[in-house]
Amino acid sequence: MSKLRFKIILLVILLTSVLAWVIFTQGPLAPVKVTTEKIQTGNLVVEVFGIGLVEARHSYDISPVMTGRIKSLLVDQGDRVRKGQVVAILDPIDLDEKLASSRLIAERSASSIKIAEAELVQAESQSRTISSTYKRYVELHSKGFVSQEMLDAKLNEKTAALAALDVANASLASAKRDQLKAQSDAAGMKSLRNQTRLLSPINGIVTETMLEQGVTVVPGQAVLQVIAPTDLWIKTRIDQKQAGMIKAGQKAIIVLSSHPQTSISGTVERVDLISDSVTEERIVNVSFADPEINSSLGEYAEVTIKLPVQENARSIPTAAVKRINQQDGVWVLQNSRARFVPVKIGIESLDGRTQILDGLRDGDEVIVYSQQAIKEDLKLKIVPKIVGN
Amino acid sequence: MREPAIKIENLMKRYGEGDTAVDALKGVDMTIWPGEVVGLVGPSGSGKSTLLKCLGAVIEPTSGKMQLGGESIFDNTWKIDDLRTLRRDRIGFVFQAPYLIPFLDVTDNIALLPMLAGVPNTQARIRARELLDALDVGHRATAQVSELSGGEQQRVSIARALANQPPIILADEPTAPLDSERALTVVRILNQMAQQYQTAIIVVTHDEKIIPTFKRIYHIRDGRTYEEAGEGRDA
Amino acid sequence: MINLASRDIFHSWGKFIFTGVGLGLLIGVTLTMAGVYRGMVDDAKVMIDNAGTDIWVVQQDTLGPYAEPSSIHDDVVRDILGQDGVMEAGNVAYLTMQIQQDGKDVRIMLVGIEQGKPGEPAFLVAGRPITHSHYEALADIKTGLTIGERFQIRRHQYTVVGLTRRMVSSSGDPMVFVPLKDAQEVQFLKDNDALLNDRARTTVNPAFNRPGVPGLLDSVLANQITSHMVNAVLVRIKNGYDAEAVAKQIRRWKHLQAYTKDQMEEILVAKLIATASKQIFMFLVILAIVSAAIVAFIIYTMTLNKIREIAVLKLVGAGNQTISSMILQQALGLGLIGFVVGKTAATIWAPLFPKYVLLIPGDAILGFILVMLMCSLASIFAIRAALQVDPATAIGG
Repeated sequence: MSKLRFKIILLVILLTSVLAWVIFTQGPLAPVKVTTEKIQTGNLVVEVFGIGLVEARHSYDISPVMTGRIKSLLVDQGDRVRKGQVVAILDPIDLDEKLASSRLIAERSASSIKIAEAELVQAESQSRTISSTYKRYVELHSKGFVSQEMLDAKLNEKTAALAALDVANASLASAKRDQLKAQSDAAGMKSLRNQTRLLSPINGIVTETMLEQGVTVVPGQAVLQVIAPTDLWIKTRIDQKQAGMIKAGQKAIIVLSSHPQTSISGTVERVDLISDSVTEERIVNVSFADPEINSSLGEYAEVTIKLPVQENARSIPTAAVKRINQQDGVWVLQNSRARFVPVKIGIESLDGRTQILDGLRDGDEVIVYSQQAIKEDLKLKIVPKIVGN
Repeated sequence: MREPAIKIENLMKRYGEGDTAVDALKGVDMTIWPGEVVGLVGPSGSGKSTLLKCLGAVIEPTSGKMQLGGESIFDNTWKIDDLRTLRRDRIGFVFQAPYLIPFLDVTDNIALLPMLAGVPNTQARIRARELLDALDVGHRATAQVSELSGGEQQRVSIARALANQPPIILADEPTAPLDSERALTVVRILNQMAQQYQTAIIVVTHDEKIIPTFKRIYHIRDGRTYEEAGEGRDA
Repeated sequence: MINLASRDIFHSWGKFIFTGVGLGLLIGVTLTMAGVYRGMVDDAKVMIDNAGTDIWVVQQDTLGPYAEPSSIHDDVVRDILGQDGVMEAGNVAYLTMQIQQDGKDVRIMLVGIEQGKPGEPAFLVAGRPITHSHYEALADIKTGLTIGERFQIRRHQYTVVGLTRRMVSSSGDPMVFVPLKDAQEVQFLKDNDALLNDRARTTVNPAFNRPGVPGLLDSVLANQITSHMVNAVLVRIKNGYDAEAVAKQIRRWKHLQAYTKDQMEEILVAKLIATASKQIFMFLVILAIVSAAIVAFIIYTMTLNKIREIAVLKLVGAGNQTISSMILQQALGLGLIGFVVGKTAATIWAPLFPKYVLLIPGDAILGFILVMLMCSLASIFAIRAALQVDPATAIGG
């Protein structure tokens, strides 16, 4: 065989081998690459994540109790206010006149009382006089000096005088009550007049002025909002599935969207009793450890709550845990094939490890990553990693 | 009484029909004996090529008789079905150019012919080697055709013509491209081979250098042949 | 008898290989085209298979969620869970959009999923599943994203925590999985400018901004930005139940449509990609015909170059069969080289294509048979020419 022929045959064999290699290692005939890990024991850091909005624990919408027009706003957004401080004034319109009118009525009723008292004195004196006169006439009548008619007439006078006395008493009482009523009215009018001055209920900061001067307001319509600035917390939404172990007092790490690089510490203050059933979330309120935090209301925050560390937990990467026919399990490598092993899982950490309570032995090779979905009859090949980083 | 290697009587060949018909051969007679080397001389247009093609069983004559080794192969019609095997087994060809198959080596170029005749490969190659040695080109047995000189190629082509031990060899202007020394060498070889293998060789030529070497010459003119005794000079 | 074809091939092997390589590239292109077609069909199938779903529940009278838009309320899933035969059900949201990655625009399909429910990828090639309730993502490696990389969608930044492979939409766009709530916000909530515009419009509308009703405007504005719609509910049925029977049950509620896996495949493969695949198939046929023509031409030319040798061979007694088989063997040899080169080339350059190219062994075998057939047929022209050669031409003038 000539040298050239030999070389050519060698080349043909080479090409055929290349083709065969290509067919059997790439494409559908090649084995599926997988990576495996064994179960690891260690401390599992358990955390729960949620996002929330920064809110004031207590916020007060200040609104009038009557319809009116805003005469002046005395504070602006960001102003500090004290408890009881006047923050806005409504236009009194006719309230001043009504107040004056009720005062005058009260004064007039005082005069009416004087009149009634004078009339009572008069009626008393008259009735006294008539009573003693009648007594004399009775004596005189018994001695026969006075006629029956005169006695009756005097009796009549006495009765009339007594009646007049009653009237005078009643008039006085009525006048007194009138006065009380007028005084009440006046006090009420004054009260109402006071309502034109809106007061801050707490020491705090004005967060929002909803309306401007000159605007007409109805009862219940908020004019200003005031909050206590050191009383902020984050209303965090946690998936109901993960919220079971959250308790007040647990520590949390907060990242505000205005300072994405800074981690701020916080504490779980309260877990709301009522959850959001539509979004299936629980509301967890987390306060700042340092009350002097510079954040805006309504700002987004990412909250990570730290639950107690699970010690000596046996865990595998969460990526290895599959759920088939509602059964949790993992694929274990045996003789280049995979076998589905049901397991009982415990907690899942946020960084991707799942606690295995039962079902796996220490030496089991658990399939973590694969090039395609694992099935029982696939040929597999272990590689250190599937995607280089 | 030995048979002539070739015997032709009144061979005619007409091309075309009617008014445009051309009579290339108008009645050719020829007799050649085994071992003879005979010249066939004539100008172009004389019917030389036509006669060669008839002798080579490549075209069919219009009429006449042709016998090869006593066997009648043409008597106004072909008497044989398979002209191809006739050519393969009974007729050897030497051309103006060697016309060797470029993708076969020297030995296989020659051995091809016995192989086509059914001879086993090893035997065919042995025969080829023998012929190459006889023609003094044995040392080139494994060479590729392109490596050979013109003269060597010509020798190889002669060896090929002899490969199936044909009774006759037709040589068409074998010395045309050669100088006188090489031309005479070729003639010498032909004479040698004719003697050795008792093959009748017809050499079609107009090469003045070699015509004197023929003992017999057939002249062909206007479709007819005339025999002439040649000088028979040694090459 | 020696093999003339192999002698000829060995003698001018350079030319032969060169021609074979050229033919091979052409065959490689044809095989690749078949692979593109298969890849398109596979893209559609793999998306359906990857969903790990038995039934898709979508808006009534739509072919959604992939072929047409579909929009249903996100509390429909609870009612479906109560249906007989339903094992698991989960909301999903789909949105085809573009994100920025490394300065380039990458077209993706954003998929909103709920952890542990149907729709979640069945396997990862790196990283971990989504554990945070917001702003984490699983990306397919086809996006070019790596673990830890961040990208922006609308108002938020998302961190890639896991990678998937071959999770693509039916048109080959890689999928990016995010929590469902985030996807709902992206899909149904508009960008800031549009939101402000809508807010302004509502505020000046006296129907919504009544002075005597405090709080009305705020309620209306709040309603406008809530997003409680999803595109589909994916359902897995219990063992032993028939998918079509369960789907029929779901369809009976007149405002929902339900498709089984087979029906979904038909929608995607038969309808969605039908036109594109027909186009490619036609192109494939044309390529095959062109390849056949070129092979015929090459072999014919190669034969014509050997006319003189063929005449000599015929003259010295080579029969028609000898000459025909020489030409045929050369044609087949050329075809073999071409096929080997073509299949290797196609396998090597297939992963470089932007869309998925699937080369299956069946296609390769079919291709091989066709190439050999093609070469045989092509050699017929050459053989005819060779047989017509007059051996007399070897004898000059």
